[in-house]
Amino acid sequence: MSDSEDVAVRLRDVVFSYVRNATLPEPEELTGEADPDEREGPVLRGVDVSVPADSFTVVMGASGGGKSTLLRTFNAIIPDFIDGSFRGEVDVLGVDATETRVSEMARDVGMVLQDYESQLFGTSVEAEVAFGPENLAVPAEEIEPRIEQSLDLVGLDDLEPHREPSGLSGGQKQRLVFAGVAATHPELLVLDEPTSDLDPRGTRDIVDVVNTLSAGDAAGGDWSGPDTIAMVTHKIEEALLADHAVLLKDGRPFRSGTVREVFTDTDALTAARVAVPPLVEAFDELGWPEDDLPLLPEEARDRVAAADAEYEAPAEPGVAPGGTGAEPGDLLFELSDVTFAYDTDRGPVTAVDGVDLTVREGEVVALVGHNGSGKTTLAKHFNGLHEADDGSVSYRGRPVPEYGMGEIGREVGFVFQNPDHQIFAETVREEVAFGPKNFGLTGEELERRVDRALETVELDGLDDADPFAFSKGQRQRVALAGILATDPEVIVFDEPTTGLDATQQRQFMDLVAELNREEGVTVVMVTHDMGTVARYAPRTVVMRDGAVADDLPTRELFGDEATLAEYDLVPPHPAACANAVRGDEPTALTAEELATALGGTDALADAEPVGDGASTATEGADR
Amino acid sequence: MSSTSLYVDADSFLHRLDPRAKLALLVAMAVPAYTFGRPAFIAIPFVAALVGLWIGQGLRNLRRVWFIIVALFVVGLVVWPGFVERGGPVVVDVGPLYLTERQTLFALGRSLRITSFILGGLVYVSTTSNEEIVRGMRGLGLPYAFCFAVGTALRLFPTFLDAAGTVRQAQEARGLEISSRNPIERARSFIPLLIPVFMTAFRNIETQSMALEARGFDTRSERTFYRDSDFAFRDWLAVGFTVAVSVASIALSTMGVGTF
Repeated sequence: MSDSEDVAVRLRDVVFSYVRNATLPEPEELTGEADPDEREGPVLRGVDVSVPADSFTVVMGASGGGKSTLLRTFNAIIPDFIDGSFRGEVDVLGVDATETRVSEMARDVGMVLQDYESQLFGTSVEAEVAFGPENLAVPAEEIEPRIEQSLDLVGLDDLEPHREPSGLSGGQKQRLVFAGVAATHPELLVLDEPTSDLDPRGTRDIVDVVNTLSAGDAAGGDWSGPDTIAMVTHKIEEALLADHAVLLKDGRPFRSGTVREVFTDTDALTAARVAVPPLVEAFDELGWPEDDLPLLPEEARDRVAAADAEYEAPAEPGVAPGGTGAEPGDLLFELSDVTFAYDTDRGPVTAVDGVDLTVREGEVVALVGHNGSGKTTLAKHFNGLHEADDGSVSYRGRPVPEYGMGEIGREVGFVFQNPDHQIFAETVREEVAFGPKNFGLTGEELERRVDRALETVELDGLDDADPFAFSKGQRQRVALAGILATDPEVIVFDEPTTGLDATQQRQFMDLVAELNREEGVTVVMVTHDMGTVARYAPRTVVMRDGAVADDLPTRELFGDEATLAEYDLVPPHPAACANAVRGDEPTALTAEELATALGGTDALADAEPVGDGASTATEGADR
Repeated sequence: MSSTSLYVDADSFLHRLDPRAKLALLVAMAVPAYTFGRPAFIAIPFVAALVGLWIGQGLRNLRRVWFIIVALFVVGLVVWPGFVERGGPVVVDVGPLYLTERQTLFALGRSLRITSFILGGLVYVSTTSNEEIVRGMRGLGLPYAFCFAVGTALRLFPTFLDAAGTVRQAQEARGLEISSRNPIERARSFIPLLIPVFMTAFRNIETQSMALEARGFDTRSERTFYRDSDFAFRDWLAVGFTVAVSVASIALSTMGVGTF
């Protein structure tokens, strides 16, 4: 095929619906907007797109907008594996993918998904990596060097080869998935949100692996990495690793081009419900020339220097940009020397080790730290899910264990990371009423609470809907409504933003912020997302090895590069830029604050473009 | 967080044996335990299983299953006397409790037999990783698809338990209590636990089968095997030992040695 030399994947007029035997609309009917929460209609609505050969292409768009669905046509999962309704042409590496089986596509196309647990099949590290090559009938003597090369590539070469995958950390598991896929020596690598379930350290390790693969640096033999990579991600920092970008909107490509072109096109990004990179947002607001907006902190710093702009304090030091946690009131929680250990067959393993902490009414506190640092275990002490082995936890001056689970549960709500771990009812209303009913509410009071909770999360009118048919963002809101209906004083969130796209994250957290500002709900959130911490939590507690390593105003934390490095935390881009130019002034936590800090004079609005010479990481296109 | 696997990661003689040879040794223990009836004879495989557990460093697993072992032992002691003819001298005669020597020895033998089986199984799982269990099954000639299914189940069991634990906590935090005396109420209160656990499992299964095919898995096409077990000399020794012990046990017991 003549195309296959410069194009790795080409789709023509692809329409796909997850509904079986559906009558697919004609092309002319597929204009207009698609509702991202609508599950019935076609997800891909007339897709024409090509992925350049030898490129690293990132696909972005709103949740439910068809990104993952699009990638699944690249290795024939659609239409071969998923039984929906399909129309169109898909050409992958010169093969007609609509007529090829997934297991055959696997010879040339490797795929890594977000959920590493579902992708590990081997009973040992070695067996896991050998699995793909075995399936493809690679001779046994060739598999051994592939195992070595792949484990080396992902930095797991020091693992005992017979170790069971179940004992590895999340980051290690995902790296093992990459190793297993790399061992099949794919020409095209398809990545579907590979870091969404990982902590910052795990994310950084995966980013390193992706960089090595995209640079073709996988040392060894006749394969040094895939020629082409296609990736879906919600994280803008990761998108900037790529060289090409495609934005999806309403089930169709909406804008494509180089990463620089696409991610500085603020109108297109906003229309596609993709987060505008914060530095682009700040500099756009400051009037910097549109074709020269900075993507990375170093680029922004160069532009500030070139324009000779001045930096002024963007806000009061103790105030969060989200206006949350402004006036702490009475003492709510007092934790003193809390220690907790899990029983394992190798004896007790200490997860929380001598924590002293207080939380006041109306505060918004972020608990950060790597997986295994004990933050979720600690959070579970707030509502009595865990009881301290040593030390004490008291709520309003009374030890938490003295409250019954029913009593403390009314006061302190806990929103788990994955809404699917709690949704069970047939209707939204029943689901939301479950908690308050358990706490003894009945009749009108119950109905009133449920109504209000549904209204707050903007699901009113959907009382009789089936929560299992909802999108992830909606399910997250059902779970929150279930807690709100119990009218708690405190809400503890475990990773509230995982699995949500930029718009949903913002909506969800704005909702939480509103609860805090208007109703004084105290918020404790365990999170890996530094952007969320920066915007909403004026105070951050850093956990390390089960202990509180630091407890300080968030603005101070993100303003101190040395401390951040010590805790292995990466500041949001606006803070990173501000830190390079701010002198003694407090740092800026968001794009808006950065714009305020640099906008005192019009220096930036009148400046000359710096040009792409100043840019760095995004110039990988011509590798 | 607590580990659900009974496998002990160590490097003992038993760990090094081929999984099939270990199955053979299990037979070498089970045959005498089954053919003989007298406790003095069954005590030999019973002790052998305990020694195996000691060699395989699996004694600590006893902590996790001792309750089952003791319970089975005691239940056997209580139940079996009722199923056997009285005979021999009287051992106990207190009120309604009347036991002869024959009854007591018979019951003791049966209790030793059942607990030997459990201890033997415990030796096997303590010294054989999931990987080896599956490889052993394949070595015995079982179809690959079946072995793979067993391996996946073993792999996913801890993940499943983790999810179940999280669901329980999530519902407890919403005030779910499972302590009602009324059995119907009690059963109903399990619904908020079971549905999320199974829905999550189903969602995972879909992703898993997708990921599986994407890795080229296809039961219909040809495949290679990276590491096949090699049956070493010591493995053959174990098989020889098993044959000898089994033949001897069967011969002796048919001659009436060690039986009632």
